[in-house]
Amino acid sequence: MKVIEIKNLTKIYNGSSVQVTAVDNVDLVIEEGEFTAIVGPSGSGKTTLLNMIGGLDSPTSGEIVVGNTNLATLNSKQLVDFRLHNIGFVFQAYNLIPVLTAGENISFIMEMQGKPKKMITKRTIEILKEVGLADREKSRPNQLSGGQQQRVAVARALASKPKFIIADEPTANLDTKSTENLLDIMEELNRRENITFIFSTHDQRVVNKARRIIVLEDGKIVKDEQKNV
Amino acid sequence: MIWSLSWKNIWRNKKRSFIVISAVTLGVVAGVFTAGLMKGWVDQRVEAAIYTEVSHIKIRNQDYLLNEEIKYTIPDQEKVVAELKNNPDVVAFSNRLKLTAMAASSRGNTALMLVGIDLNDEKKVSNVFEKMVPNAGTFFETDMGNPVVISDRTAEALRIKSYELSAEVLDSLAQSDIPKSVISKLEPIAGKKFITEKLFKKGLNTVLSKSEINKYGGAIRSAATHYRLRSKIVFTFTGTDGEMRYQTLKVCGIYKTTNAMFDQMNAFVLKNDIAPVAGFTSGENHEIGVILKEDVNARHFRDEMKGKFSGLNVMSWQDLAPDASMSSEYMNIYYYIIMGFILFALAFGIINTMLMAILERTKELGMLMAIGMNKKRVFRMIMLETIFLTMVGAIVGMILGYFVILITSHTGLDFSSVGEGFEAMGWSAMVYPEIELQFFIGVTILVIVTGILSSIIPARKALSLKPIEAIRTE
Repeated sequence: MKVIEIKNLTKIYNGSSVQVTAVDNVDLVIEEGEFTAIVGPSGSGKTTLLNMIGGLDSPTSGEIVVGNTNLATLNSKQLVDFRLHNIGFVFQAYNLIPVLTAGENISFIMEMQGKPKKMITKRTIEILKEVGLADREKSRPNQLSGGQQQRVAVARALASKPKFIIADEPTANLDTKSTENLLDIMEELNRRENITFIFSTHDQRVVNKARRIIVLEDGKIVKDEQKNV
Repeated sequence: MIWSLSWKNIWRNKKRSFIVISAVTLGVVAGVFTAGLMKGWVDQRVEAAIYTEVSHIKIRNQDYLLNEEIKYTIPDQEKVVAELKNNPDVVAFSNRLKLTAMAASSRGNTALMLVGIDLNDEKKVSNVFEKMVPNAGTFFETDMGNPVVISDRTAEALRIKSYELSAEVLDSLAQSDIPKSVISKLEPIAGKKFITEKLFKKGLNTVLSKSEINKYGGAIRSAATHYRLRSKIVFTFTGTDGEMRYQTLKVCGIYKTTNAMFDQMNAFVLKNDIAPVAGFTSGENHEIGVILKEDVNARHFRDEMKGKFSGLNVMSWQDLAPDASMSSEYMNIYYYIIMGFILFALAFGIINTMLMAILERTKELGMLMAIGMNKKRVFRMIMLETIFLTMVGAIVGMILGYFVILITSHTGLDFSSVGEGFEAMGWSAMVYPEIELQFFIGVTILVIVTGILSSIIPARKALSLKPIEAIRTE
C-alpha cells in the first residue's frame, strides 16, 4: 500500500542573485513498511525532500500525497494537525524538551492529540520498553546519553502512531555503539510493527541496514535500489 | 501538560526568572503598601470627619449657612427632634448652640466658635472627649464651675500653654528610653519657661544635635508641655438681643484632634452655662449633629429629611467634608491607577525576559511546531509562562505587602515631622495602613491582565518562527 506518492516534485530557492534547484522533478513512491535511506552528498536535496514530505516546506511545483491526502490542499493549520497525527519526526540533535522527563516527552505528543490519559500512560510505558528505556521514564534528557536521548526521540515519534517516520541524519551525533543500538531498535520496530521509516543520511551503517536506498544528486534521483533481504 | 510545561519552562533560567519575580514582588509590595497607606489615611480622615467634626448629618436653619447669626436657630425643633427619636436609622443625635466668640486670656486672644453641648448627647455623637491630651484635664469631668474645653491650638493662641523642663519632667524623661547623656545635655535649659513651641525648639537646638532632636525631640517636647488648667478665659459674643455679652469660663481640659483647623475653631462649653447668658431661654439650638447606623446611606437620609422639613438646611458628611468624601469614593480608582502604573512599568521587564526566553528556545519551538504543536497551543504556552512568572512575584509581593500592612497597622506610621501640613488639612500625621481583601482580588486580576498583555509580543515572536528555519538554529 502506498504511504507516500510524489509526482514531479520541484523545489527552487530564489537567492539574491541565483536560483538554486534543490529538488528537481522527483517522482517517488514509498510503500508501507519500507525502511528507506535517502543518501547523497551535501546539497543534493535530501533534507529539502524530507522537509517537503514532512509538510514542513512547500514545493515550487509537483505534488505530495500522503495516504489519500494531497498536502497542497491543506492550509497551514490543517498541515500542523496533519503532521501531529500522521508523521513522526526524529531530528539529528534529538530535540527533546529539556524540562520534561523521558516519559513526559513521549506522552506530550499524545496529549496534544487528545488521547485519554489512561491510554497515554499505558502507551508511554510500552514504547519506552520497545526502545529499551523502561527504567529511564523519570530521567530528564540531561541525565541520558546521546544514544538514549535519540531513542527517546524515536519513541516520541512512534507515540503518535504515525503513517511514517522521517529521520533526518538520526545517527550523525552518535558513537558506533549507540548507532548500532538505535538502528537495531528501528529495524526491529519496522519489521515487527511494519512502521515505515525514511532516513536521510551520510552514515554507511544506516545505508547498510536500509532495504531501499535512494541516491540523490543535484536534486535528482540518480539511483533507486531495492535490497533483497 | 501545557500548564505543567509552562510552569517548568519559567525555571529553566532560575537567575533570570528570580530577577523578574523579585522586581514584580517589590513592585507589588510597593503598590500594596501605598494602597494600604492611602486607605488607612482616607479611612482615618472619614472617621475623623464623621465622628469628630461633622457627624453623618448636620441639621441647621437654612439662613444659618449664609450668615452664622445667633438668631438663626432651628425652626420647628420639637418636630425635628421627634422625627429623629422615632427614626430607626438614627443611632444618636446632639443639639448644639453655636456662638461666634472672641476668647481672651490674660496673655492672648483668638476668635473661635463656642459650641454649647449637652454632655451625654454629645458623647454619643462626637468622639472629641476621646481626644483629650494626656494629663491635660478632662472633658467636663469636673466639679469646677463654668468649665470650657479648648484645643491645644487655642491654648497656644491664648498663651496658657508653655514648655518647661522642670525637675519632675527630667525625672520622667530619665525613666523613658531617652539616653542619660541626652538628658544631661538638657541641664542648661532646665527650669526655663518657653511660652511658644518655636522658642522651646530654639532652646533645644542650643543643647542637642539635629539627630538627637529628630530622635528624641518629640518625646521631650511632649513631656515638657504644660497647660495652665483652670485659667480663666473671657468669651465675648453677641446675645440674642444684639448686645455684646461676656462669659468667663475656666479651662477644664485640652483636646487635640488630627484637624488643626477644627481645633483652632472650636471650644466646647456646657449649654446650660452659656445659653442663658446668650439670651436663650427655651432650649433653642443652632445645629443638630446626627449619627446614623453604619449601613444607612447619609445622602438618602439627607434627602428624606429635606423632604420632610423644607425650612431646614440638611447636609450629609459628604457635603460637609467633600475632601474626605471624594477621597473615599475615588480611593479604589486611585489604588488601581497606582497598581496599574507599577505593573505597566514591570511589563517591559517581563516582555524583555520572555523575548530572551523565546530567543534561547527558538530551536525547541521549531521542533514543537514541526511535530504538531499548533499556534493556539504555542500562544497559550507562552502566555501561561508570562502569567506564571508575573503571578509568582505578585503572590509573594501580596503576602509580603500584607505583612507590612499588618505590622504598620499596629505600630502606625508617624509623619509628624511633616505632620503640621497634613493636620492643617485635617489629615492625621499618624497613619495606620489597612487593606481590604477586595484589593487583593483586584490586584490578582490586574496581574493576570498584565501577564496576558505582556505575553502578546513574545508570543507573536514565537508564532512568527518558521519550524524549518527554527530547527536549524544553533
